[in-house]
Amino acid sequence: MKRIFALAMAAGLCLPGVAMAQGKDKIVLLLNWYTYSEHAPFYLGKERGYFDQEGIDLDIQEGRGSGITVQAVAAGTATFGYADVPTMIKAASKGAPVTAVGVALQTSPMSVMGFSDKNIRKPEDIKGKTVAITPGDSMSQTWPLFLKKTGLKEGDFKQVAGDAQTKLNAVINSQADLLLGYVMDQAIKLQDATKKPVTPIRFADYGVNMVSSGIIVQKDYLKAHPEVVKRFLKAAQRSMEEAVKNPEAAVDAMLKAQPKSGVKETAVVGMKETASLYKGPDNPNDKPLRVGKKNMDETLALLVEYGGLDKATAGKADDYYTNAYLP
Amino acid sequence: MQVSIWRRVLYSAWARPILLIALLIVLWQLAIWIFRIPPYLIPAPFDVVKQLVNEWPKLWRETLVTTYATLGGFGLSILFGIPMALMIAYSRTVESFVYPLLVFSQSVPKVAIAPLFVVWFGFGIIPKVIAAFLLGFFPVVVSTVVGFKSVERDMIDLARSMKASKLQIFMRISLPQALPSIFAGLKVSVTLAVVGAVVGEFVGSNSGIGYVLQIANGNFDLPLMFAALTILSLVGVILFALVDLVERFMIPWHASQRNDFSATA
Repeated sequence: MKRIFALAMAAGLCLPGVAMAQGKDKIVLLLNWYTYSEHAPFYLGKERGYFDQEGIDLDIQEGRGSGITVQAVAAGTATFGYADVPTMIKAASKGAPVTAVGVALQTSPMSVMGFSDKNIRKPEDIKGKTVAITPGDSMSQTWPLFLKKTGLKEGDFKQVAGDAQTKLNAVINSQADLLLGYVMDQAIKLQDATKKPVTPIRFADYGVNMVSSGIIVQKDYLKAHPEVVKRFLKAAQRSMEEAVKNPEAAVDAMLKAQPKSGVKETAVVGMKETASLYKGPDNPNDKPLRVGKKNMDETLALLVEYGGLDKATAGKADDYYTNAYLP
Repeated sequence: MQVSIWRRVLYSAWARPILLIALLIVLWQLAIWIFRIPPYLIPAPFDVVKQLVNEWPKLWRETLVTTYATLGGFGLSILFGIPMALMIAYSRTVESFVYPLLVFSQSVPKVAIAPLFVVWFGFGIIPKVIAAFLLGFFPVVVSTVVGFKSVERDMIDLARSMKASKLQIFMRISLPQALPSIFAGLKVSVTLAVVGAVVGEFVGSNSGIGYVLQIANGNFDLPLMFAALTILSLVGVILFALVDLVERFMIPWHASQRNDFSATA
């Protein structure tokens, strides 16, 4: 159903998402999901005029999943997308003309989490428990790798499947003990709903090194408007750096634009969690969005091994990202 | 000779939809060629068929799961829908209390409340059956009410004047006259029940066509997704045809059944 919506969008509007408005480039940034703390830096940059100063009139649109965001960018419906880079790689390997021009989350936010009072703190504790997953999403596809790295087997626990909301409901209502989620997304949502602390077991702590959300753009657009992409990335990087320094301000800007996107206290925690993922294991001193080659190579290798990416068409990591347009 | 075979094919009821489908598939392929639609937006028909064949054992297994949930929901729609419609049709009091509420409930988007079914009823088949039931229930009620309300008063008066009992009037006059309308509702209901079952599976399930759709969606496997959708549509068509078949046996005298035209064949 989601796919059909994307098709309708793609078929209806094949215009490139850019038009000159009062001398500024009108840019649509399509997020990967409904707004939450991870997206706060963009709202901060918009509010403080960082994008304006680069001659960009930014329109932030909420998304319905990275897959749809990637398709919309590939079809030219949105100029930029903020989406899961592994998801984008999968689409690109099937011919979608998109590339990542900056990787925001360079350490994976993926984790398996449950309420702290259940005392599930390390992988062995998962044995005998029930885990809620969403079939087909990026986390459920990385999950087997986490199991392998931690020596767990499918039979060690029970698994239930449902959509994003069902996963949360299942844990809140004790139908499941754990869910697969992002440390700064589902963990916060569980806390907001129940006021109970949540303990995530991070995939990244057990050797699953994979990049996550990044900024993606259509290849043709990149070729035709390299200057716009550079200006956009400059503003985006500045927004992220400011959000790292001042997470409260970023969350305030987000809540002002999207009042329903969270609760201030927990969203600030989420923003700080997000900021801690801006650096990858191989480039601790780089500015945000600039990703290390080793990190991308490893991501691609994992996708080929576990993510259903066809080795024959996978190519190499360089085919899917570039740091060349970053300041 | 050649012409007459073509003509016969063209005039036979079973061949027409197949011809139309073939035409649509050709147009689909042509559209992909002419507008250069990339495969990550719309898959080519041939790729869909390939996935249909390659993944058939799995697809078949999941189809059965979805069909069970559909039939469960459809069965409940009949079980609850027809008695409720009878009460509405025969009692103004019940009608005034229940009918507006029923219409109100029908306008609630099932997708929005489906996640709650999983909370209430768990991850088994029950939430899917309920989702199928909620979508299939309403058309059964509405058309059954219409059927019983449009029974000719004169016929009933005549039977009554001949001292027919209430049961006799119901069995001999009201029910037969209402049946065509009831079956119209059942046909709508069974196709909607398929949709309901998939909505249920989307929200929370380890199996079924809805589950396949989610996986295919996550992997940009559009051919598999379209293959699953094709099967789903076929399930709808077959169930529709079965209801149609039952209808032929039960009301062979009705106008809709007298000629050999059929909406499904």
